[in-house]
Amino acid sequence: MLTYVNGPKHGVEYPPAMNQAASALVARHVPAPPAPVPSPSVGEALPLPRTDWLGQHRGALTVTDDFAVLDDPIEQETFTRALAPLEEGEGDAESVLVVQGMYCAACADTVESVLQHLPGVQRAQVHAATRRLTLRWDPTLTRLSSLARTLGESGYRLLPMQHALSVSERLRETRQALWRLFVAGFCMMQVMMYAWPAYVTAPGEIPPDINQLLRWASWVISLPVVFFASGPFFASAWRDLKHGRVGMDTPVSIGILVTFLVSSAATFDPSGPWGAEVWFDSLTMFVFFLLGGRYLEHKARDRTAGALDGLMNRLPEVCERQKPDGGYESVSLRRLRVGDTVRVQAGQAFPADGELLDGRATVDEALLTGESHPVSLQAGQGVVAGSFNLGGPVRVRIDRIGADTRFAQIVKLMERASTEKPRLAVLADRIAAPFLVFVLLAAAGAGVYWWQIDHTQAFAVAVAVLIVTCPCALSLATPAAMLASAGALARRGVLVRRLQAFETLAGIDAVVFDKTGTLTHDHLTLHKVTTREGASLSNAWALAGALAEGSLHPVSRVIAREAVARQPDLAPLAGHTERAGQGMQALRPDGSWVRLGSAEYCGLPPSMAGEHLPAVHLSDANGWIASFVLQESLRDDAVAAVTALRALGVRTWLLSGDREAAAQQVARVVGVDHVIAGASPEQKLAEITALQARGLKVAMVGDGLNDGPVLARADTSFALGHAAPLAQSQSDFIVQGGKVMDVVNTLAQARATLRTVRQNLAWAAAYNVVSVPLALAGYMPPWLAGLGMAASSLLVIGNALRLARR
Amino acid sequence: MDILYLLIPLSVLLVFGIIGVFWWALQAGQFDNIEREGERILKGD
Repeated sequence: MLTYVNGPKHGVEYPPAMNQAASALVARHVPAPPAPVPSPSVGEALPLPRTDWLGQHRGALTVTDDFAVLDDPIEQETFTRALAPLEEGEGDAESVLVVQGMYCAACADTVESVLQHLPGVQRAQVHAATRRLTLRWDPTLTRLSSLARTLGESGYRLLPMQHALSVSERLRETRQALWRLFVAGFCMMQVMMYAWPAYVTAPGEIPPDINQLLRWASWVISLPVVFFASGPFFASAWRDLKHGRVGMDTPVSIGILVTFLVSSAATFDPSGPWGAEVWFDSLTMFVFFLLGGRYLEHKARDRTAGALDGLMNRLPEVCERQKPDGGYESVSLRRLRVGDTVRVQAGQAFPADGELLDGRATVDEALLTGESHPVSLQAGQGVVAGSFNLGGPVRVRIDRIGADTRFAQIVKLMERASTEKPRLAVLADRIAAPFLVFVLLAAAGAGVYWWQIDHTQAFAVAVAVLIVTCPCALSLATPAAMLASAGALARRGVLVRRLQAFETLAGIDAVVFDKTGTLTHDHLTLHKVTTREGASLSNAWALAGALAEGSLHPVSRVIAREAVARQPDLAPLAGHTERAGQGMQALRPDGSWVRLGSAEYCGLPPSMAGEHLPAVHLSDANGWIASFVLQESLRDDAVAAVTALRALGVRTWLLSGDREAAAQQVARVVGVDHVIAGASPEQKLAEITALQARGLKVAMVGDGLNDGPVLARADTSFALGHAAPLAQSQSDFIVQGGKVMDVVNTLAQARATLRTVRQNLAWAAAYNVVSVPLALAGYMPPWLAGLGMAASSLLVIGNALRLARR
Repeated sequence: MDILYLLIPLSVLLVFGIIGVFWWALQAGQFDNIEREGERILKGD
């Protein structure tokens, strides 16, 4: 019966050490850092029973073998969402769960294959490094609890993805791992002491009875090492055996068992057929080295998972909602509804996306920008969930809650990316399986061969071959590096949608920039307005504002904003149609059309567009009404970024829908190599295709709003700024801070990632190629083999973690 | 040399005893957050 209780544990503190630097940054601006525990007065005012609370405030949560908690609809809200039907008739759900009991990358395959064969499961994707499971399932066919029970029979446990649970589970796993490591290490030292006399004396020098006593003592001390400390190896090997597969731990387990059985036989029957040689010192040593490797791997993995959790952990557990009588009550985040007004105290995180009601606020939006500096917001501006309120208490009206918030979209994007398996990793996995079979055969062959030459050597050689091989390094090489990079970028505000994109990005040799919103700021400012003789300015604004209101184009946004400021009563127009990149058309109540857009679209002579500055024009059936001349400003780091790209050997293009003159001017200032101006969206697509036809690998940088198809057509793509809804974004990388320089940094990071992946793969291959023949030839004692394998795994993980520091 | 018949079994018991003490320390949470103990000295209060 698996029963555990999750209560408020001593010493559990979140976020973990890795995020303390970030917390410290925040803390500089905040007198009292966001405390996870609500103040006593808040706690007393809470109208809900304590059991309704989340996380560590909830008190004891008992999970028993029936996994009923997974079916609880209220609980499910945190880790499950309904998906729109893919085809007719099915409405799937997607859940993110934690898999407990995974020891190496191969376990991910086992979990996936078990789940995928169950009825009602559409897709199961496990990420080994974070132990996340993304499960797509059909609620009409199955229940999560029954899936969990079936998986439990294979030796893995499914837990809901909640921080509190995963923290206490992770703590328990860490303790267990440390415990096993200590037992193996301490017993190893003692066994070595008992073995030492045999090494330093001539044969026969120790009296036979004392010699026998030392062997018995070694045997007793080895028992906990074999039967307790080696548990994870046996458990994982047994699991693979039941599924009729050879896993990473199969050779290791066979090695441990063979060594122990042969040494035991020699201890109790020195004259028997197995000889009088004992290997307890080698046995305990290689178990210790392997466990040591596992433990450090486990730590490294926790740091990656901790980085993700640290990001997800930013929302408060409770918030203060305004009651109809004006007072405040504390409610659980899940009770919050759109339209509620909440008060956010200084130092607290905003619980949901909303609109600021009070005068002004100072907010830290590090979540979006990756940079922790205060941003001033006015009443009426939007705040995002997960950013911190640095000033005094403010009131916010909630616009979006739960899964609709930008925060939730970011978290989801990161989770999705981290469960994906890059192409290189799939390749490595495919090599690892037959390699293991080869190792088993080679070990058996070596044992038989050496038996005929030297009985005492045969076991040592066979065991050394089993232990020394390290397919784990092969499997870990790629995902570990890419995940470390994705984590490092996320901390700087760059989100990675697909891990695979690192490989593509590292190989690009051309970067194509969109102009508006990319090299220049996405907000234009109004330069001047000219109107037709006799036309009223306020009428022009009313018409322009009403037209621009329905469009997301940056120019339209400026016009709409300026119009509302000048002319609150917009003209009553209907039947809006937009031609992308050209303009808008709508109908007056009397049926006559009005257009807002480029000179060409409005049917005006090209001479109207003669200036260097971008302009939009307003016209109707009677001709020109007004022109709005805008000016755009370059982003501060555009020049530096383009220069840096050139230094990296990447050619740059400017691809703009704007007029030649405006595009040329920007290009000249920034220093872009080539300019293609006046391109419609269709032409942009064609230009990208043409570049690709010339053999160039193209990365497209856009604002993610108007250039979706172009971003999708390029080999890899960036969306700059946070104008576009994340969920609809087509791009592989999302630069939230809106800094062009981050594109360059991401490119450098991708190149470093690929370099590390290649180093890791080369190391794993070279190590196995060298060590296996050495072991076969009898030059490798088992303890050295254990050290070699542990060191090889650690080298790969350590090399990957260097990327997280960049 | 007869004393070895006492000392060697005694050393085995000692090993198990020390392992037991470590188990207690581990379960009491002493090793849960080793890094934090080192940072504590830097914190003002």
